[in-house]
Amino acid sequence: MLDATLPTDRGRLEFDAVSKAYGPTLALARFSHDFAPGKVHALMGKNGSGKSTLVKILAGVVQPTEGSLRVNGADTSFASPHDAFGAGVVTVHQELSLIPSLTIGENIFLGRLPKTRRLGVTVIDWARMHREAAALLSEMGLDLDTHQEVSTLSVGQQQVIEIAKAMSFRPSILLLDEPTSALATREVDLLFTLVRRLRERGVTILYITHRMNELFQIADTCTVLRDGNFAGSIDMAQATPERIVEMMFGETAKAKRPARQVIDRSGAPLLDVKGLTRNGVFEDITFQVHPGEILGIAGLLGAGRTEVMRAVFGADPVDSGSVTVNGRSFQRPDLKQMKEAGLGYTPENRKEAGLVQILSTHDNLCLASLGRISQAGVVSRSGEQGFVDRQIKDLAIKVPDPLLPVSSLSGGNQQKVVIGKWMNTAPKVMFFDEPSRGVDVQAKRQIFDIIWQKASEGLGAVFVSTELEEVLEVADRILVMRQGRIVATVDPTEITLNDLYAICMKDQT
Amino acid sequence: MTDATTAHRAGGGLMPFVRRYTMELILLALIVFLIFTAPGFASLANTLNVLRTVAMLGIIAFGMTAVIIAGEIDLSVGAGAALAGCIVAWFGVNYTESWGGTAALGFGFLCALVVGFFTGFMTGKFRQWFNVPSFITTLALFTALRGAANLITGGFPLSNLPPSFGFFGGGYLFGIPFPVYLFVLTFIGMHFLMNHTSFGREVYAVGGNMEAARLSGIDVWKVKSLTLALTGVLTAVSGTLIASQIGSGTGTTATGMELDVIAAVIIGGTSLFGGKGRIWGTFVGVIFLGCISNGMTLLNVSEYWQYVVRGAIILGAVLLNQMLDRSR
Repeated sequence: MLDATLPTDRGRLEFDAVSKAYGPTLALARFSHDFAPGKVHALMGKNGSGKSTLVKILAGVVQPTEGSLRVNGADTSFASPHDAFGAGVVTVHQELSLIPSLTIGENIFLGRLPKTRRLGVTVIDWARMHREAAALLSEMGLDLDTHQEVSTLSVGQQQVIEIAKAMSFRPSILLLDEPTSALATREVDLLFTLVRRLRERGVTILYITHRMNELFQIADTCTVLRDGNFAGSIDMAQATPERIVEMMFGETAKAKRPARQVIDRSGAPLLDVKGLTRNGVFEDITFQVHPGEILGIAGLLGAGRTEVMRAVFGADPVDSGSVTVNGRSFQRPDLKQMKEAGLGYTPENRKEAGLVQILSTHDNLCLASLGRISQAGVVSRSGEQGFVDRQIKDLAIKVPDPLLPVSSLSGGNQQKVVIGKWMNTAPKVMFFDEPSRGVDVQAKRQIFDIIWQKASEGLGAVFVSTELEEVLEVADRILVMRQGRIVATVDPTEITLNDLYAICMKDQT
Repeated sequence: MTDATTAHRAGGGLMPFVRRYTMELILLALIVFLIFTAPGFASLANTLNVLRTVAMLGIIAFGMTAVIIAGEIDLSVGAGAALAGCIVAWFGVNYTESWGGTAALGFGFLCALVVGFFTGFMTGKFRQWFNVPSFITTLALFTALRGAANLITGGFPLSNLPPSFGFFGGGYLFGIPFPVYLFVLTFIGMHFLMNHTSFGREVYAVGGNMEAARLSGIDVWKVKSLTLALTGVLTAVSGTLIASQIGSGTGTTATGMELDVIAAVIIGGTSLFGGKGRIWGTFVGVIFLGCISNGMTLLNVSEYWQYVVRGAIILGAVLLNQMLDRSR
């Protein structure tokens, strides 16, 4: 009898009041749930809901501060990723961890290549490795040559190999963290076939995603987290998109936003983008920005928001369409010309693309406007000083010494330096790509205040954020993008957060 | 918030000064040591001799500093210097009779400058167009340029040059070797370029973070190519001085010079990762290398030991800079 009960618990995953605190912040608050074995469980929640903390706990990367975890019916605690593996919980992370220059077989058995002894020397048993890898792939219904280099595979195939690698550990529970975020539709189908096959074999799958439509295709249940709390769990047979969005956001009303001036759209637009297309990335993008207007672009990750901004700014190439800035028209936007025409861009990855970390705040603030500051190519500290001081004062940048490396500043202040760098070029239109990412709440307010202030002085702005609340709060008008196209234009005063989210996630048919 | 920085600045008294001028102090200590131990080190003749040697190296090293700050490298400067000397000598040997010495050598010098500019600029363009790292392109040039130099000379020194040509490398002006004037001029010019022009600022930005520089509207490839081209030009100048000093164009001169040049730049505190370095540091670096070589020769240290010591110094300088960086 005892033996008979054990197999039914294989693949069962139970959380009992699991909490994780980072200092005073509770990332996960007394999460309790019982994930039934042999099913595909979707895990949903907006950014900061505690999803990633849950994943990290299961992967053994972080340890819960409270509560207990039962895996396969036994009390467990993971002190390290190694423990999680040992217990049969394997995670496929969002970022691929394959080595492109190695073969499929080598990637699957990386770090544990089968060995054999030949002539008294331990060598790798290549034949056995490829045999076992091939067996694993065919077991999963995949028709791929294990001798093939991973770099020759599509992203979807790589994702599948990643899962095959995970399955080679024979897990009872498999975590898939946004496995489709980089996949095309056809490749998503390939992945779903694989997931269903694994489910048939009794593997419990935790499936983390942002895409609503996928839930209905693949998941058996959907569990929702909100602000670190368990917000509910629902059988997909009874679920509707509206119900899930409600669980994710709770009872939300219209976002609060300060009284704004009326935008005069009768005159010529500052920025006029017509039919801009980059094959395979975005298509037929058309929009205008008028003086003083803040145009928001909403959409899920990968919808093409950043790509459009970068292309308009001239940072990436385009295939067709035109961009008109302040009356000057460009067929092929070139970054230098666009800067001269009056565009500015604060990139989403401030550290890697916004600032030169080893240079001083002073130098960074002058970086985009050297042509404006210099006289016949000659610059001097004193000549630059006015430009530096103005931005530090104007944007209230907290900087102990502008001549120290900018890397010593806080995230919020670094973001202000990026904005200040562009304000020194006296731009007509600014693109703000995720300006609030990685900054604290107070700095976020200040950055929004700066954007509003500049807009009231006549600047045109394009604002992008993954946080839809922010787009609703900051923008005067919102374009919604899905899969590289503009699918709707909405007025933030007339739409609720839930409705906006629903448009962003809507099925593409 | 300001605690850390103000404490660092106000406190410590002497320490921040020592940290800031570590290399300068070490150089000073070395000079004092050599004055007392190496016979004849402080003599006027020896000092001028050291300065002359340092000048040939330093003129190129200032350009190399900009290249390395921009995040690139040039391994071809030794070969480039040899080629430049051969080009000048070839014109001198073949056209002095028909054009007169000044015109022949002058035109040769001009050609050498153009070749230097072109090879440097193309190194940058190869990186841009074909994604070939400058390390590879200049490694190829390292052999190719020396080959070209030997092709020009046919393997024998071109030494039938007008005697007046010797002035540039070997002559004195107001009692100071002529190359030293060019060395100082190059130092001032490069210092000004790197610190007081928008081009200089762009070099630092491009080397510090190429993507951030590009997104700031800086033409990153133009900047990189121009630093390489500038080094090509300075290499041609130095190569001509060397040819003048030894009185001939030889395909085998300046062998291994690229390593001394890069060593001087690194001793001067410039980071091979790009974005960081000073022309003044390189100035200190070349003087340091010059003193070490000269001092060891005067102290009768065997040539083989000299190589070992110089190697140790290069490694030590990098370690020292890393440690200083961490403590700052």
